[in-house]
Amino acid sequence: MNASMGGLTNQLNNMNLGGHSQTQLITVNLIGVPPNVGDLDAPPPLINLPPNSSVTQSDKANCEPSYKRCTFNSVPSTASLLSKSRLPFGLIITPYRSLKEGDDPVPVVTDTVIARCRRCRTYINPFVTFVEGGQKWRCNLCFLSNEVPSQFDWDLQTSQQANRWNRAELNHAVVEFVAPTEYMVRPPQPPVYLFVIDVSFPAVQSGAVATAAKTILESLDRIPNEENRTKVGFITVDTSLHFYSLNSNSSEPQMLVVSDLEDVFLPQPDDLLVNLTEARSVVESLLSHLGDMFKDTHTVGNALGSALLAGFKLISSIGGKIVVLQSSLPNIGPGQLKAREDSKALGTPKESALLQSAEPFYKKFAVDCSRSQVCVDMFLLGSQYSDVATLSCCPRYTGGQTYFYPAFNAGRSEDALKFAHEFAEFLASPIALEAVMRVRASKGLRMTSFYGNFFVRQTDLLALPNVSRDHSYAIEVSIEENITTPTVCFQTALLHTTCFGERRIRVLTLSLPVTNSISELYSSADQIAISTLLANKAVERSLSSKLEDARDALTNKLIDILGVYKSAITGSQGASPQLQSCDNLKLLPLLALGLLKHVGLRASSQIPTDLRSYAMCLLTTMPSQLLIPYIHPRFYSLHNMPVDAGTYGPDGIIMPPPLNLSSEKLERHGAYLLEDGQNIFIWLGRQVVPQLCMDLLNVRSYEEVHSGKVTLLQLDNPFSQQVNAIIGKTRESRRGVYYPHLYIVKEDGGDPSLRLWFLSHIIEDRTDTVMSYQQWLGHLKDKVK
Amino acid sequence: MPGEALLFLFGTIMAAALLFMMVFFTIMFSDLECDYINPIDLCNKLNQFVLPEMLAHAFLGFAFFINGSWIAFAINAPLVAFNVQKISNNRHMYDATEIFRTLGQHKKECFIKLGFYLICFFYYLYRYDKLHKAII
Repeated sequence: MNASMGGLTNQLNNMNLGGHSQTQLITVNLIGVPPNVGDLDAPPPLINLPPNSSVTQSDKANCEPSYKRCTFNSVPSTASLLSKSRLPFGLIITPYRSLKEGDDPVPVVTDTVIARCRRCRTYINPFVTFVEGGQKWRCNLCFLSNEVPSQFDWDLQTSQQANRWNRAELNHAVVEFVAPTEYMVRPPQPPVYLFVIDVSFPAVQSGAVATAAKTILESLDRIPNEENRTKVGFITVDTSLHFYSLNSNSSEPQMLVVSDLEDVFLPQPDDLLVNLTEARSVVESLLSHLGDMFKDTHTVGNALGSALLAGFKLISSIGGKIVVLQSSLPNIGPGQLKAREDSKALGTPKESALLQSAEPFYKKFAVDCSRSQVCVDMFLLGSQYSDVATLSCCPRYTGGQTYFYPAFNAGRSEDALKFAHEFAEFLASPIALEAVMRVRASKGLRMTSFYGNFFVRQTDLLALPNVSRDHSYAIEVSIEENITTPTVCFQTALLHTTCFGERRIRVLTLSLPVTNSISELYSSADQIAISTLLANKAVERSLSSKLEDARDALTNKLIDILGVYKSAITGSQGASPQLQSCDNLKLLPLLALGLLKHVGLRASSQIPTDLRSYAMCLLTTMPSQLLIPYIHPRFYSLHNMPVDAGTYGPDGIIMPPPLNLSSEKLERHGAYLLEDGQNIFIWLGRQVVPQLCMDLLNVRSYEEVHSGKVTLLQLDNPFSQQVNAIIGKTRESRRGVYYPHLYIVKEDGGDPSLRLWFLSHIIEDRTDTVMSYQQWLGHLKDKVK
Repeated sequence: MPGEALLFLFGTIMAAALLFMMVFFTIMFSDLECDYINPIDLCNKLNQFVLPEMLAHAFLGFAFFINGSWIAFAINAPLVAFNVQKISNNRHMYDATEIFRTLGQHKKECFIKLGFYLICFFYYLYRYDKLHKAII
């Protein structure tokens, strides 16, 4: 009855629109129906631009969602419609995303002809119009007519007629221009990697120093160095700073010790930062000895602050990357920190203070770095409290990333493998240097708040000393004036230096239709983008006020959205036994519940602040492709998966169908795989058949299985090969450098905390404090007026 | 009472100085909005003046208290309390990384203070004038 009512209202709504809407608003009931988790990978609603809105009709004319997506694919024409709909308005931008196999490379315009609007500085894009017989082009953001550069029709190099319709910037929404000298304040900088390595007793003890040195040594060929300009330097630090003179003429590095921590100086002007190609042999010699150099040390204490200041002195004239490998809490010199974790404060309103920075030094340092184009990346390998909250300030404002390896011990091969893999990928990934990013939008739209790792240098200019691969930025947009045009456009320009020394501008253009109907707005809403934006806002909120406020704000947002849907779209009044949503937003309640139960936001007195802070770092930097599995893990059953799962199909490895995250699915005799991009769990039921244990783990029965971190054996049977293929596929298909740990979890026996950790991912179930999925829907329904 | 008259004369001058400081702050904020100055320079510049402004204001309030000018003290007490609370929460300095997010709030605060000092200025002037006339 309800469904048919909803259907009728839809038809009425669509009729009101005059029939030009192509996306159908489909109302679905939420209560009593398990969410279809397979739809998490579904593409966002189609962008229904009016016909002929792009000049070339190219299918690449509009931006792919993996680069830039909006929370809805048709923009409301007035601010009152936006506030009435209660949907958040924002953009999720991943300008420097990685290219996986099968992805098209970004086309490059090499002739340095960059046509831009004289008034609003928009770059020419597929949505401009040519007027006056093609002599001029009209900007699609401010509608000013501009001259078409003569090179559009005439190739200066070959002195021949050129076809402007073949130009990449008129065919592709994502395009890169090679920038002429007007876009440079100085010659393009070379990539610089300065390693600041903690060599105090805990660092040496855990094997972090040796693993890091070995990984750097093995990655020397993978560090971006096409032009042979890359510079490297090393500072090791315990209670004093050790610099290394890496003169390319000498065969052995020379260590220079500075023990004045308050007034940091460089012991010599040259040879501390050297060209990687020229000084290759001496760098190799240093790295091969670094692991043993401090093996007998008993020095406890670390002066990270002084080392950072010294590193800054060393590279600030060029800019570049400071890679910090930290295993202990910096406890002497500037920026010293205390082990401030207080287990009594966890789960109380005081917890927020522990998630905030304890020491202004790091923030101030990050701001100085941003000015000098220096980026800081933190690898935290602490076995004890590492104060991720404070140390992650440096990457946050310099465009870097924090990586955290709790209880790292290189003696465990899994730990060493994970760190070495991620660190090597990090070193090998191409980065963009000395970058600024700006988003321009059609008249009436304004960018209001920005989320992600950068420093806001002007009202709408983001400074990124380095653009890390696959970092995502969320930007909230507001409507300042009514929009009268049929389409609006968002253009992101990222001016950067590539790691091969070319100044380039990457331009992403997204054009969206404008609507004045609330049902059209709802039918075009993108639940993935909305969840990504809400995750960013929730983290922001929990840092600026309390975790509880963030959770309440998230819940209220959901109530508002569903309430508006009920009153304005289905048109029903009063209490109803159903909770309805449109088809394209049907997973939003599930994703919001995933966020509420996420380790970064969950109400719990058991989550160490380091883990929370790290989860928050990930929530604010991950692109949607990584973030969605991170808040709603993928769950597969292994014991009864289809025969072809884990084998090669036409699109690579075939994955088994994903299951709902509910313990109803956990059968006693079953084996399951759950992964969130950071960890992979294999759950074994207590009555699992011995043959499965034999095939998968090479043990005779369930009793002999050891739970915990493992490396899965590659056994010579189809089941093992299938499971390994599935795990391999999940590891490589995701963006980012992450290499998840694999844990074996047993239904009984083994480590109980591991079992609880696994079960905390089963978000459709009731946990001690938070509702189950159906209870959550019931709660939302009761609150919806 | 020439002492009290002098105190109000001093108050008038201080209020004028604080008024100018607030005008300077407001101009700097609008400069930031127009991208004439970057947030780092802005914060470095303004942070030099934050504590002197608070101290000057607190000193004035204290002087009124010592002198027993209860109305003048009562006018100033809430702002002193507000400032003390800000310092104790360590929120009194401008933060370059947050400035764009909090700009609206800072501007509002600045405008309110501007109005407050303006009213104070005329009030002190009026009191000074009355006391001064009483003497001669």
